[in-house]
Amino acid sequence: MLLALKSPRGDTFGRAIVCRHRLGSSEGRKLKNQSARGIAYWGRWLAAILCAPVICISNTGSTTQNLSAQINPIGKLSVTAGIPLTTSATTFIGFSGTLPVSYRVRTTPGGGGAITMQATSDFAPAGGPSLSTGALPYTCGSASLGTSCSGAQTVSKTAQTPVLTVPGGVCTGGGGACSASDPNSVTVNFSLTNDPQFQTGAFAASLMFTIIAT
Amino acid sequence: MKKLFLITVVSLLLITPRARAQFAGTGTTTVSVTVAAEAAIRVDTSTTSLTTTGTIFNDYTGTTSFTYKVRTTASTGSGSITLKVTSDFSPSNGPSVGSPPTGGDKLAYTCTVSAPGTACSGPLTSSISSETNVAGFGANAHSTMAGNSGSTAWTLTNDPLYETGAYSATVRYTISAT
Repeated sequence: MLLALKSPRGDTFGRAIVCRHRLGSSEGRKLKNQSARGIAYWGRWLAAILCAPVICISNTGSTTQNLSAQINPIGKLSVTAGIPLTTSATTFIGFSGTLPVSYRVRTTPGGGGAITMQATSDFAPAGGPSLSTGALPYTCGSASLGTSCSGAQTVSKTAQTPVLTVPGGVCTGGGGACSASDPNSVTVNFSLTNDPQFQTGAFAASLMFTIIAT
Repeated sequence: MKKLFLITVVSLLLITPRARAQFAGTGTTTVSVTVAAEAAIRVDTSTTSLTTTGTIFNDYTGTTSFTYKVRTTASTGSGSITLKVTSDFSPSNGPSVGSPPTGGDKLAYTCTVSAPGTACSGPLTSSISSETNVAGFGANAHSTMAGNSGSTAWTLTNDPLYETGAYSATVRYTISAT
């Protein structure tokens, strides 16, 4: 609702009230009339403001709005930027390290999902461990949603290797039909042979994890 | 100034990336390992019997075999295998490394070590007070994954002063690498 009111005197109303006792009778009457008009004007404003809620309520109606959303299957994951492999002794005990993988996933009934891993670069520099010789096996810890890989797997440069499979009709977080935890997590436990043939020094390889959901 | 400071702080909080990792369809991690100089040894002959042939006071002899693994630093590394008699022959009145009944009585040995080790130049006399050399390794030495072999061939003086009976001593092998 839009109300348009026009002031007959603008901002002189206040000044007229203040000055009425200082002026003569004719000027006083003139200002008195002006004051009366001002009071009437601002009275209409006050009435409009006080009555506005009532007017609005009386004009309230109802309608129905249909909302629709297309919820698609999706998967997202997160891994820490680096995982150091360490050994507990200096007697050629193998190196090991655990990498947590966090993920959020939603699959359709009848669909499914998976997390896989593949090396995008071998250990460098040369002279150290090498993925081409199968030097980096891993196992998977329990997953908070889905089924983690079973048995010993080996990181490959040429193929995706399994980390997790997710059944259809599941989702991350919120409880109920979805998992209680958000995000979900699974751990990957790496072990690296400590071969005396390795040169001393620091070596690093890159692994890429991929999640898919249908 | 105070207002400007407040605005700056709020702006930094808004534009600072979250510390937590971001979720995406793929994630990359770097697997790193630091390979250090290492060494390990396994004595394959748990009990080495020293025996003599004939009855004319020929020395007692026997061989102790071991397997070693070693990795030394490429340019500056080195390593060694040493041994020490940590427990002298007992009971008393028999052979002794620390207090032989006759000067010149000794428990001596020669060394055989496969590459990359360099065997000691024997024969050497074992000691209860100090380590004695068995093998040495130079820089950038690497054994096989299964380990490399070596042995010490013992010779113990057959002194007529020894009382008859069975005597035993303990020898400790130590390998190190840098």
